Amino acid sequence: MRASGKLLWAYAACFYSLLYLPILVLIVLSFNDAPAIGFPIQGLTTRWYADALAGGQVMQALGNSLSIGIASAALGTLLALATALGLRRSPRWRGVMLPLLLVPIITPGIVSGVLMLVFAGMIGLPYGLWTTAFPAHVTWVLPFAFLTLHPRIEQLDRALEEAAMDLGARPRQVLSHVVLPVLQPALIATVLFSFTVSFDEFVRTLFVIGGARTMPVQLWISLQQHAGPFIPAMGVVIMLISMLVAALGFFISHHASARSLQPQS
Amino acid sequence: MTARSAARSFGAELLPILPGGLWLLVFAVVPFFFLIVMSLWTATVFGIEPEWTLESYRTVFADPVYVLIVLKTLRISLVSTVISLLVSYPLAMFLARMQGRAKAMFLFALFLPFWSSYLVRSFTWLPILGRNGLINHALISAGVMSAPIDALLFDEFAVYVGLVYVYTLFMTLPIYLSLDRLDPALGEAASDLGGRPVQVFRRVTLPLSLPGVWSGCTMVFLLSVGAYVTPSLLGGTSGIMVGNVIAGQFLESNNWPLGAALSVLVIGMVIVSVTLAGMRVGLRQLFLGQGR
Repeated sequence: MRASGKLLWAYAACFYSLLYLPILVLIVLSFNDAPAIGFPIQGLTTRWYADALAGGQVMQALGNSLSIGIASAALGTLLALATALGLRRSPRWRGVMLPLLLVPIITPGIVSGVLMLVFAGMIGLPYGLWTTAFPAHVTWVLPFAFLTLHPRIEQLDRALEEAAMDLGARPRQVLSHVVLPVLQPALIATVLFSFTVSFDEFVRTLFVIGGARTMPVQLWISLQQHAGPFIPAMGVVIMLISMLVAALGFFISHHASARSLQPQS
Repeated sequence: MTARSAARSFGAELLPILPGGLWLLVFAVVPFFFLIVMSLWTATVFGIEPEWTLESYRTVFADPVYVLIVLKTLRISLVSTVISLLVSYPLAMFLARMQGRAKAMFLFALFLPFWSSYLVRSFTWLPILGRNGLINHALISAGVMSAPIDALLFDEFAVYVGLVYVYTLFMTLPIYLSLDRLDPALGEAASDLGGRPVQVFRRVTLPLSLPGVWSGCTMVFLLSVGAYVTPSLLGGTSGIMVGNVIAGQFLESNNWPLGAALSVLVIGMVIVSVTLAGMRVGLRQLFLGQGR
């Protein structure tokens, strides 16, 4: 037992080192004062960050990513919340809704991109950030928002709602004064996770965004054009934004679940 | 209950799930019909004609170029799934044994990289495996080699590295969840009864973790079959997968019907693998980590 425990620790050390090595390499290279991406390290500079964010195109891509991320996180979470609350009240619809919610998850990314491309092309929907990329993002975000919210909503103590109703609250009041306040941390965490799901999305976006760009699409185009040594810096910016937002969501939901598990006396 | 009030309560039941349901129906399900229609239209040098034909499917199933690329995609996906399983299982065991604060920290550290774009995480392997990448640089500085080697990048090997790196969380997480649910007393009882560690693992731990193994394998296989970013960045010409060929039909050669037919085939592979895995462990376990 002892020996196998030590082996597992050693294995975990290797695993985590390999997991973080590429991220470390990316960060180191983003500061490397060399004309080409790669080793050795020739000096430290922050100019690649200035280069990566220079030009209206990148700032516009960043703006697009932030706005489509916020909008699809909001709508995706709202739809997921309504669905999860609805299924809690009438479980007989689960058999229909759960498979429907799984469709975007099991559809491979490239196929999802192609589906939206062909669909929009055939019904005459113009390609663009809000016309086609936004629906694609909401469709992608919705199942993840649901899977994040669903366990929390199932755990919700029915006695709370029954008590409120016994005290004369109407269904709408129960929702706004009891259910939503209890769910608030879970909802905030879901919005934050959903934002990163949208912010990181690439392949579904690439096919339908037309002439517009999000940050990952901008990075992809820079990679295809071998645009220059600023690429690692651009990667670090994209990575930091989504990691920070997701970490915030993790701490909010972890904190909330730790609190709700404490014995109430 | 009168017919009217029954209808009203039916409507009240349906109302909250209707927006999400309709959204998914319109944007996730209906487009499949359009895709199938597109795969049955005719591609000509002048563009796409709405005339029914099975030509694209004939190409997909008879032209060796496409048959081989589909078989290769299946092989790469299977191998990536097996490597992911071998890499992830010990870590899942490690995580399941952790407790309290340490467990939460290790889980957080596992999740953190996966909260960033897979595009960025695939791309970082270029300056690791490449000609002036980390590995070549380290081996030359250490005196192991005198000149950089190119064999690390732009081939199937690099695709395996990329796919396993990008998708391993989807294997580790379900296995960890199924191991974490196990009662530690089971293992203790087995060893008290004289089971050696290897026997306890083979007869008790492993069989009970199989639902997690199945859902992890299904997820990684699905993600690999549809991979596009990783093979295009790391695979070069020899590491091409069906995703690259599909993208080419839409972005370069403008043969939408052929691209649609290939997409339908990929969906077919997805449905077959989900059905096979679902028959073993049930769909709810597969995706929600819950019992049948």
